[in-house]
Amino acid sequence: MSGRTLVVWCPDWPATAAGFLVGVPAAVVAANRVVALTPAAREEGVVIGLRRREAQGRCPTLQVVAADPGRDARVFEPVVTAVEAFSPGVEISRPGLLGLATRGPSRYFGGDEELARQVAVAVDTVLGKLAAGAGGCRVGVADGRFAAGLAARVAGGGGPAGGGGPADEAGMPVSVRVVEPGESRTFLAPLPVTALPDPDLADLLVRLGLPCLGDLAALPAPAVLARFGTAGALAHRLASGLDPRPIAGRVPPPDLTVTAGFDPPADRVETAAFVARSLAAELHDRLGERGLSCTRVAVEAETEHGERLQRLWRHDGILTAAAIAERVRWQLDGWLAGGTTTAGLTFLRLIPDEVGPANGCQLGFWGGGAEDGGVARALARVQGLLGPEAVATARIGGGRNPGDMVHLVPWGDAPDDGDGKAGAGGVVGGVGPVGAAGVAGRPAAGSGGGATGSGGPWPGRLPGPAPAVVFIPPQPAAVRDADGAEPEVSGRGVLSSPPSAVKVGEGPWCPVEAWAGPWPVEERWWDGGRRQARLQVVAQGAAYLLARERGRWWVEAVYD
Amino acid sequence: MGGVPVAAGRQHERGAAPAPPPLHALPVAAALSRPVALAASRTLPVEDVLAPLLPEGGLRRGSVLAVDGATAATSVALALVGAASRRGSWVAALGMPRLGIVAAAQLGVDLERFVLVPLGGGQSGGAQSGGAQWPVVAAALLEGVEVLLLRLPGRVRAVDACRLVARARERGAVLVVVGDRPAWPEASDLTLTVEAARWEGLGCGHGYLQARLVDVTAVGRRGAARPRRARLWLPGSDGRVAAVLSDGAGRDALRPGVATLPVAGALPVAAAVGS
Repeated sequence: MSGRTLVVWCPDWPATAAGFLVGVPAAVVAANRVVALTPAAREEGVVIGLRRREAQGRCPTLQVVAADPGRDARVFEPVVTAVEAFSPGVEISRPGLLGLATRGPSRYFGGDEELARQVAVAVDTVLGKLAAGAGGCRVGVADGRFAAGLAARVAGGGGPAGGGGPADEAGMPVSVRVVEPGESRTFLAPLPVTALPDPDLADLLVRLGLPCLGDLAALPAPAVLARFGTAGALAHRLASGLDPRPIAGRVPPPDLTVTAGFDPPADRVETAAFVARSLAAELHDRLGERGLSCTRVAVEAETEHGERLQRLWRHDGILTAAAIAERVRWQLDGWLAGGTTTAGLTFLRLIPDEVGPANGCQLGFWGGGAEDGGVARALARVQGLLGPEAVATARIGGGRNPGDMVHLVPWGDAPDDGDGKAGAGGVVGGVGPVGAAGVAGRPAAGSGGGATGSGGPWPGRLPGPAPAVVFIPPQPAAVRDADGAEPEVSGRGVLSSPPSAVKVGEGPWCPVEAWAGPWPVEERWWDGGRRQARLQVVAQGAAYLLARERGRWWVEAVYD
Repeated sequence: MGGVPVAAGRQHERGAAPAPPPLHALPVAAALSRPVALAASRTLPVEDVLAPLLPEGGLRRGSVLAVDGATAATSVALALVGAASRRGSWVAALGMPRLGIVAAAQLGVDLERFVLVPLGGGQSGGAQSGGAQWPVVAAALLEGVEVLLLRLPGRVRAVDACRLVARARERGAVLVVVGDRPAWPEASDLTLTVEAARWEGLGCGHGYLQARLVDVTAVGRRGAARPRRARLWLPGSDGRVAAVLSDGAGRDALRPGVATLPVAGALPVAAAVGS
């Protein structure tokens, strides 16, 4: 059974919020289209959706104001406050429309009609203060929000039983429509399907010969679901006067967390691991009862000094009780032995983080995956010792420099698309050595052997073998020419003088035997990107990739 | 295989006693259906070019290799493990936060089975704890991976090294210690030293680094006591390790205008090459 709901609707709210009175032809315009208008404007032939110029053509005295959602909400606030005086828990759908569960307040105020009348009077008073002569609100009460909203719409003078009935103390009529409990379906039956929140579906229903909500509600629900899908089933529920959500369908998620306390606090791994093993078994039993399995579990612990530690463990397959216990043990080992904690553990909790149906796990026929399982165990153990980010697999993506092309993914994490960091390929590229050497027709990019990363051509990527040692971030270097001065790279990518000696970090000066460049790179200039010029240098048998950036020299990589 | 059903059929034609099970076919069937693991179980494969340097023609399981040299040590280590990685062995690199992944891929390492444990290069928690914990981490990695590349963080206690060697032998894993040799207190089974290296393709203001010629010497214990030498393109123009066709041809192919290869052992040591 749906809950009794009261809906307060202030018609043409954006126009009211803009300060227009009912008798003034006025329209609120967004993106050059009329989105709201006063009844006076409507009488002149202006409709919602009309272009501004056309609306002004139909009604030359039309006042036009731009839409402002902030203003609508701000002005609506006193109305909400007035309704909140009756009951807390007011739900605002949008400025101009709010709902209220009437179960409690209607008994207090003496019935739905009385409550609706008092709410309408209160809101009308607020609106009257806002602007004398502003349009009044309309109040509908029915089973369910959809029916109550329609009741509020019908409550205006045009409704079959609306208007005229209740009145406020001063005798002024208020627009109230109360649909008796259980009568929602009857009330909705003659209303057009265009009242449904899905205009496309309503259009289709009309063309199928179902112009009224009653026609739709008369159809069997499974047939509607089969023909129109979820949207149709929702519309059918609404037309039948039910809540959009079937209440019985929602089962609260079971609490699968398992917890254990230590008294006295456990300061030895063995003590904690012993309890962890039984905890893991308990968690596994709980999952098993529900036919679930866990692919990610969070281990949470608290120490005597109030330190709170948590870490997630993921597993490709399914975490068995033994696997969970093993991981908890590694984790406790890392925490207790690694000096992360200053006191013994008082509290341990296992939270299944990613739970799915237990579909079983099929091993390869020839024991396939067994070795990989050993690797996964070993790596998980290292992650327990050093943290989940300490173990990484690498992926090669796009980029111009060797450091940019590599994306490290922590072990066990889902790999990203591999091109996330450098996805915004540069419009302004760089000049690669091949281009600089004047070899026509051969792309500078792509000749880098196996490193054909994603994301199309990367002009300016260095061809030839990649460096075996890459500095991230680059390390400072020093370069000097034959006169002892520091060579510079001009804005046009010209080296001021050839390098004759290079010094990496704190090392000694080494004479340069061969060099080439500079090859400029300009990337992501729209995003505070990078401008640099690169140089390949061989000094005393070692080859370096140098870069001039931010007014000084850096060593990006060593061809070790 | 083809002969087995024929033989069985002939016996049925004669109407003799029930056919004896064709036992001789069993080893054939077993060999065909067994995963090809046993033949190569003692050694892990290496690139054909590098095989002459190794006494067994491959990386012997349970052995410890050291790769030494002022330059090209990282490349030699990566080239050593590339083939094994492509054949399904897991490779881990411990303590090498600056390893060039692109170079590793070019030298044949399969990144699907390549794990990095930077140890101190990471952002969280590794800096202070990783340095002291590296023997534990290395031992844990040896439980799972078949090849462990290890760059030592500094001095190594003999007891740690001894324990790691024992663990590698027990698990049948290969430990490759990259970097300065004196830091490793245990004697390694094989030490590969880059005696000389020379880059090709880079001139004075023109060209780009294309390939490198290296002279590698391998000396070890037992069967490897006699030094083995090889001249290799490491990396070659495609980034992979390649053979110099013959000594003379390789030397003839050198273009004029680049630095000549120093005599082995007389290579000036570039002290600045650290990683």
